[in-house]
Amino acid sequence: MDHAIVVEKLNVWIREDHVLKDIVLKVPQGYITAIMGPSGSGKSTLLRSMNRLVELIPGAKVKGKVKVFGKDIYTEDPYKVRKDITMVSQNPNPFPHMSIYDNVAIGPRIHKLVKNREKLDELVKWSLEKAMLWDEVKDRLSDPPTVLSGGQQQRLCLARALALKPKILMLDEPTANIDPVNSKKIEDAIKALVRDEGITVIFVTHTPAQAVRVSDFIAFIYNGKIVEYGLSRELALNPGHELTEKFLRGEIG
Amino acid sequence: MDARSLKEKIFLVTIFALTALGVTPVFYVLASVIYKGIEAFTRRGIGIIVKVNGGILPAIMGSFALSILSTVIGVVLAFVAGLFVAEFPNSRISKITKVASRSLLEVPTVLLGMLVYILLVVPTGHFSLLAGAIALALVMLPYVMVHVEQALESVPQIYREAGYSIGMSRAQVLFGITVGIAKRGIASGILMGFAKAMGETAPLLFTIGAARSSLPCSIMSPGDAVPLMIFQYAQMPQEYYHDLAWAGSLVLVIVFLLVFVIVRKLIKEVKY
Amino acid sequence: MKGDKLLYYSLFPFAAIVIATFILLFAVISYTSAPAIKEYGWKLFTSSAWSPSEMGPESSKYGLLSPLYGTLVSSIIAVILAFPVTISAVLVIEDYAPPRTRDLVGSLIEVMAGLPTIVYGLWGLEILAPLLKVHVYSPLHQLLGFIPLFSCRPFSGYNILTAGILLAIMVLPYMVAVARDSYRSIPMTYREAALAIGANRYEYAKIMMGMIKPGLIASALLGFGRAAGETVAVALVIGNVPLISSCILKPGYTISSLIANQFSMAPLYPYMMNVLFTGGLILLMIGVIANTVAVIMISKSRLR
Repeated sequence: MDHAIVVEKLNVWIREDHVLKDIVLKVPQGYITAIMGPSGSGKSTLLRSMNRLVELIPGAKVKGKVKVFGKDIYTEDPYKVRKDITMVSQNPNPFPHMSIYDNVAIGPRIHKLVKNREKLDELVKWSLEKAMLWDEVKDRLSDPPTVLSGGQQQRLCLARALALKPKILMLDEPTANIDPVNSKKIEDAIKALVRDEGITVIFVTHTPAQAVRVSDFIAFIYNGKIVEYGLSRELALNPGHELTEKFLRGEIG
Repeated sequence: MDARSLKEKIFLVTIFALTALGVTPVFYVLASVIYKGIEAFTRRGIGIIVKVNGGILPAIMGSFALSILSTVIGVVLAFVAGLFVAEFPNSRISKITKVASRSLLEVPTVLLGMLVYILLVVPTGHFSLLAGAIALALVMLPYVMVHVEQALESVPQIYREAGYSIGMSRAQVLFGITVGIAKRGIASGILMGFAKAMGETAPLLFTIGAARSSLPCSIMSPGDAVPLMIFQYAQMPQEYYHDLAWAGSLVLVIVFLLVFVIVRKLIKEVKY
Repeated sequence: MKGDKLLYYSLFPFAAIVIATFILLFAVISYTSAPAIKEYGWKLFTSSAWSPSEMGPESSKYGLLSPLYGTLVSSIIAVILAFPVTISAVLVIEDYAPPRTRDLVGSLIEVMAGLPTIVYGLWGLEILAPLLKVHVYSPLHQLLGFIPLFSCRPFSGYNILTAGILLAIMVLPYMVAVARDSYRSIPMTYREAALAIGANRYEYAKIMMGMIKPGLIASALLGFGRAAGETVAVALVIGNVPLISSCILKPGYTISSLIANQFSMAPLYPYMMNVLFTGGLILLMIGVIANTVAVIMISKSRLR
């Protein structure tokens, strides 16, 4: 099995706090990996360490290596890194000053991925379709995203991330703040993307049920350390660690 | 009624009465300006607005030129300095800049005129619209800066993160996302700074030279401005000049109220 | 990161200009006032004489005492008058008025803040001062003439009290803005706590105002600073006579109105410009001190 991301002895401090401790993780290519853990466990920071967004957190210090397709991202241009590994945040954040269309088109535009308007139109349509939003917005592409519901906005953010045709897609608790119907659509969209496009997905969640339902692999993180990592089904049926077992039973919040 | 609730009643009546008293002058001032201004125009003819000698045209043209010049100088400076302070809040220079701009906000504006007098009027040997515009730009600078900073800081962090997470550079996020989202707030800040500068008199006392017998022909020539004209005409003994002063005030107040209404509308529409 | 550095250094010069302006202001005003301080020394601050002469420094007399006195007294009057109104307006806008009244009062105060100062000046000169003379000052003198403040007969409406009243109107919106910020920073839990012990609206207001005392002091200081620096409006109503009197119904002078009135003549007389810049230096110090103390007070008043 090939690995899309290899994390080697990663340590992250935010001011005085040692948030991530000696993280070792191999993310298999073409599968869905869930980073699961209670709130405050460092799972979002781990995600942000893999696209260097961690550097936006004031007082953050990173030590160790994160190799994406063999190259250490901490020696590269962070902006290029983030173009190839796009991310969807926890709260829907479509740009309120742009139309729905422009929200999806902005990535390809700034990175000059397409040559003409037709190609851009196609890419926007493809992205919205993959995010399962096209049918709902195709007649109002020039409206601002504020006309959409929270769940639709989140799928718009997914489309914006997909428009760059990333090899790796990251999602930070993408369904934490939206309704069950929209959550289901996002989960289905993610599965379809991996199946049809072969991209690698990493997502963060604090609900074991979602991790088991959506992912192929689960990394359980607790208190800044990876407690257990393995195939989702195996980990769910035979947790190898007392903490994992407790978390799956809902005893750690 | 017991003593306690009586006290409460008296207290409430007092604060409402004091508040009413506090805002009464604004009605009185506006009513006076409108009444006296219209009276002046009817008595002296609407023609004084386009008359050069004995009219208010040179002052209006001067104010117009000053408004453009000072806005160009002041807004560019304030906008970029505001971007710097908001984008690099932890840098030492940014903190010092913030302190300096907040202090400039509290510096009496007459001193900014004195500064430009020494730095520009004395070396060039004459008053000029440019000197006045620079003085007004300095008045405008801290106002616009504060509003630019506030507008940028009010943009939620999640949008910056969204920009970075699709690989935008810092400059692209700043200009494409943050400034884009904050544009209404920035525009209203610019307008407020503009209005503030247009109503200023003190910085012009030492800079533009009050040349009101002819129209200014270049930015290096002396000129006039409406507030300065009002200040000097108000002190003349003749009724005629008092009328011109009121006419000028009416023009100023109309411009100010227009800006106020636009700013109100802009701010109301800001929503994320 | 390379891009970050580029952004930093392309925005940096503009920030540097802001800092440079502030430093230059201090440097230029100090430098220009130095010759006057050297020539006249302490006499500049202890005398009220103002008799410029073209002959030279020996025959000209300059004293800033009266304008300094006028500046302080008119600004203090302004703050004393505006302060209770400020507290009332903050309570009305933030808590006690129905929403529509709140918006109305808030908007009116914003209009007050934005009106050009020269408009206030013209209104003060032509409307307020004559009105005050007839309807306020004359009765005030007759009824309360035994108090030194009102012991002199008001010959006109142009005096220190009028300047103080006009300044009170002009600085009110600033004082309200500062006090309002402090008031808003009071966390909900404290508000609830006050109401939970059964405070009525008077007691509630008293507790809240006690909580933001430093903010209220800051509001008064910033109001004072603004009032001291105001130039043209004051110059039109204060009478412009270099007097020092315990009676506030007499005309006076302020530093800024002295500068406004004398500046055009200053180049004709030796040292006069330097003396006016010394006045400017005093204004700058008043402004900076008021502002610095206010900033400290505001940071103290942060309850969160």
